[in-house]
Amino acid sequence: MTPGMESLRESAVINLTGAVTMVVDDSPFGLDITASALLGFGIKTRYACHSAAEAIDILKEQSIDLLVVDTEMPEMDGYQLVRWLRRSGLDPNAFAPVIMTATHMRRSRVAEARDCGANFVITKPFSAASLLERIVWVSRDTRPFLEVGDYFGPDRRFRRGNPPGEERRADVLRKAQFEAEKAAAAAESGE
Amino acid sequence: MTVITHARRASRLAKLIDTPGGVSIGTALAQAKSNLEALQPRSLEEVAKAVAELGAIQPPATPEDGDAALTTAYHAASRVIDAVGPFGLEDIRLAALGLCELIDATSADKPFDWRVLPVYAQSLQLLLSLPAEQTDARAKVRASLGEMVDRKLAQTG
Repeated sequence: MTPGMESLRESAVINLTGAVTMVVDDSPFGLDITASALLGFGIKTRYACHSAAEAIDILKEQSIDLLVVDTEMPEMDGYQLVRWLRRSGLDPNAFAPVIMTATHMRRSRVAEARDCGANFVITKPFSAASLLERIVWVSRDTRPFLEVGDYFGPDRRFRRGNPPGEERRADVLRKAQFEAEKAAAAAESGE
Repeated sequence: MTVITHARRASRLAKLIDTPGGVSIGTALAQAKSNLEALQPRSLEEVAKAVAELGAIQPPATPEDGDAALTTAYHAASRVIDAVGPFGLEDIRLAALGLCELIDATSADKPFDWRVLPVYAQSLQLLLSLPAEQTDARAKVRASLGEMVDRKLAQTG
């Protein structure tokens, strides 16, 4: 079980009331959905931004504890915003936990999603439980930050356990399916 | 390649989450669910707006116009997915997702088939107007869109 999953016991108590949070989404309704879910967790969205430019102006001046940003936005998109943030030299904002939300992941942007420096990308629509699970997970994320070539962000290798949520990695799913078929075949042949 | 490792400092979020006070996970999720339910009536309105925008997109006169129109269509389809949110309406979400896939599979040598767009706009409109209990009719709309996506994706590779 991942640290995030473990923390989502119904009786576990979390205190996110003081978390200075920024949500960036060009869709007003999308932003309202995210902010409403966060409010349920006790997080009052301090900065609600409809563009990356608006977010940058604030990030230069104010410290934040959590950034939730949509991937697809006109002009400067979420990936560019996160890449800028990580390379901004702003302390502590450059190291702030970042969760990206995506309605659809373009094939051409998969590498960008991996390389922009976000802690996590989740796909919409997300349930309140999955969003909270990821917030708890990024809050407990102890991965060091790495500077490797053009990349600056959390170590992209998960050394302990797995990322939170349902397994979606194609190679892991294929392996699991192969193992299950092998076990079924063995059971059928009475081995 | 040089790798510089910055030892992770505990973020303020990490410190905050364990401070006294706050709410239980169960309460947090119940509150969030209640907050989201309050947004549900807006969901269909937002979907309808995005679908209307899709329906208004005209096939481009030039390839340059095509890029802009495709971006508009992609964003409109994304807004449908956004607006559907956590409120069910899975068939509408999947339909919009199919359009995103088709647009994403477009390239210079595999152009977008603009005949698809009105089909999508009309199908999404139909899904919006069909009562939820008409599951067979809704499934048929979804299935025909799914077949179209599969066919087009097979063509574009």
